[in-house]
Amino acid sequence: MEAKKKPVIGLPRAMLYYRCRTLWHAFFDELGVQTVVSGPTDRVVLERGSSRAIDEACLSLKIFLGHVEALCGKCDYIFIPRVSSFGRHRNMCTRFEALPDLAMNVFRDSGQRFLTCDLDVLHKKDEAAAFLDLGQKLGFPPRVVRKAYKTAKKAEQTQYKRLVRAQEQLYKADGLKILIAAHSYVVEDPYIGKTVTAYLKKAGAIPIRADLVDREEAIKRSGELSYTCKWEMSREIVGSIVMHYDKVDGIILLSAFPCGPDSMVNELIARRVKRVPMLNLVLDSQSGTAGIETRLESFIDIIRFKGGQL
Amino acid sequence: MEAMSVRKVAFPRYAEYNCAFRYIFEEAMDVRCIQPPAITRRTMELGAKHSPEFVCTPFKITLGSMIEALEAGADTLLMVHGLCRLGYYGELQEQILHDLGYRFDFINLSEYDMGKKKEYIKIVKRINPKVHLAKFAAKFMEGIRMVEYLDEVTAEYYRSCGFDATGGQYKAAYRRFLTALYTARTRADIEDAYRAVRQSFQTIPINKPLRPLRVGIVGEFYTVMDAFSNLELEDKLSGMGVELYRWMNVTHQFFQYSAQKNMGVKIRDLCTYEMGPTATANIWYAKECAERGFDGLIHVKSAGCTPEIDVMPALQTISGTYKVPVLYLTYDSQTSDVGLMTRLEAFYDMIEMRKKVL
Repeated sequence: MEAKKKPVIGLPRAMLYYRCRTLWHAFFDELGVQTVVSGPTDRVVLERGSSRAIDEACLSLKIFLGHVEALCGKCDYIFIPRVSSFGRHRNMCTRFEALPDLAMNVFRDSGQRFLTCDLDVLHKKDEAAAFLDLGQKLGFPPRVVRKAYKTAKKAEQTQYKRLVRAQEQLYKADGLKILIAAHSYVVEDPYIGKTVTAYLKKAGAIPIRADLVDREEAIKRSGELSYTCKWEMSREIVGSIVMHYDKVDGIILLSAFPCGPDSMVNELIARRVKRVPMLNLVLDSQSGTAGIETRLESFIDIIRFKGGQL
Repeated sequence: MEAMSVRKVAFPRYAEYNCAFRYIFEEAMDVRCIQPPAITRRTMELGAKHSPEFVCTPFKITLGSMIEALEAGADTLLMVHGLCRLGYYGELQEQILHDLGYRFDFINLSEYDMGKKKEYIKIVKRINPKVHLAKFAAKFMEGIRMVEYLDEVTAEYYRSCGFDATGGQYKAAYRRFLTALYTARTRADIEDAYRAVRQSFQTIPINKPLRPLRVGIVGEFYTVMDAFSNLELEDKLSGMGVELYRWMNVTHQFFQYSAQKNMGVKIRDLCTYEMGPTATANIWYAKECAERGFDGLIHVKSAGCTPEIDVMPALQTISGTYKVPVLYLTYDSQTSDVGLMTRLEAFYDMIEMRKKVL
């Protein structure tokens, strides 16, 4: 392969990037491969992505395609892994299975090349194997790749533990605590989810992210609320709600229109978790935040009213 | 008779496959089967009323069908597992029905590890603890045979029914076949029905042109097969005089799919991985139809079906490469009959004109 000149890898700042960025960056850095990340989501990215996507696709996919387009021609390969499952009843939404092939078909005419690997524990391809395959595709010997993965994984775990600890501190804080149940690529996206957390902070509430949680424990505890939930990321959130719902003043179920897993899991959460005020907020591609702010404002008012603070 | 203690099991309406469900419940498991009434607007509205807003349409229809089954006297509901959102249907539907106040036993296959044979026995024993396993196995296979016959005959029916020279005998033979399957009690009944319909299909005069219009249908597992869900797409289209081909059915997807795993090889240029539960098969079949020079393709799905939305870019590639027109149909609970008819007529006119020119 291109042994002489090391290729530049493009990472779209969308979807799993928010969940895996430490791992990805550390892995490529360790191998000495240069990476380039697309800029933060803005209206242009969303519009470009929407024009590429099927109308009915979810907002997150539209944003993702916008980021891929932004990277086209700016790097040798765009990295899009296929992530299918982590075990039984630990699947990903089928969209993550389809992403690499989807992008390849959408951007077929652009001449852009893609780099993928396959993570599918149910078919005996765990993360280590996926990264080994990835490193070998880039022309590195297995020994080097394994070492890079190990180092990267360690970095990810340290980083993630720090994040979880920071969240755990928030549960103990004084003030109006609101648990945001959302996928990382929704809540962390500056164009959609960040507006919600920013508004909550401005209004004097403390937003806490449900997805930043001890994953193993959350997966285990998710069964208490939903016994056949099979989406890894939804289970983490469901488990996190089980662990924390009595420590917060309200829960916001935040999803991107029309997210497949969320359309069902959020309904079930709303039907089974009682006693905590809950807001089901669906973000779509409409610009302007006035509508969302009104709903958040009234939600906070309700919580305060309930607590006798208003 | 211990009729009082026998379960009354129901499975939501699903195309014409309920005949096999009935056969397996009643003949193989010795329980009573409550056949939910055929799906109507009411079923859809009932289901949509109690469903989350942007869940896929099959969820709403099966929920409505479950409600109608409970109204008809069922005390046990069965829901299958699946690789997409279907795998979560059961738990949410059970919760919704309980919240509505219905009392019933719910058998959710998602709770079981369906990769293991032992689990199947557990399920059967749960439905009827006194079941005779050897008899069950034999009768179960007859039910499977019924599905295979049904799929085979249905495929043949839609290839030719648009060219019936007698003005209705072809359809009547197919209807008789369905009735026979819904009332079959023994293996002989199934075989007789199959023989009778084959004989009719061979003898009824068909007036097919030498090169008829051929259209391939691909799409999402429920909507593409269920006539109510797709607003009788196949009847409408074949009625215009089109030969219809649809690979997607229960036989192919479940009983023969393992032998056809190599279909991924033929579509290497379109997709590297399995993109979803039916993605590989749909892309493969669309390509197959395009290569065989079909006049058009129709892609059928319910609104918001994630895996099928992801298949569409690959179909667009096929459409461009082979210059074959593709009609994309999305069904939600509001889709109107008239709108569909207009689109189908326009599509028909277009492929007919192309055929004359090309």
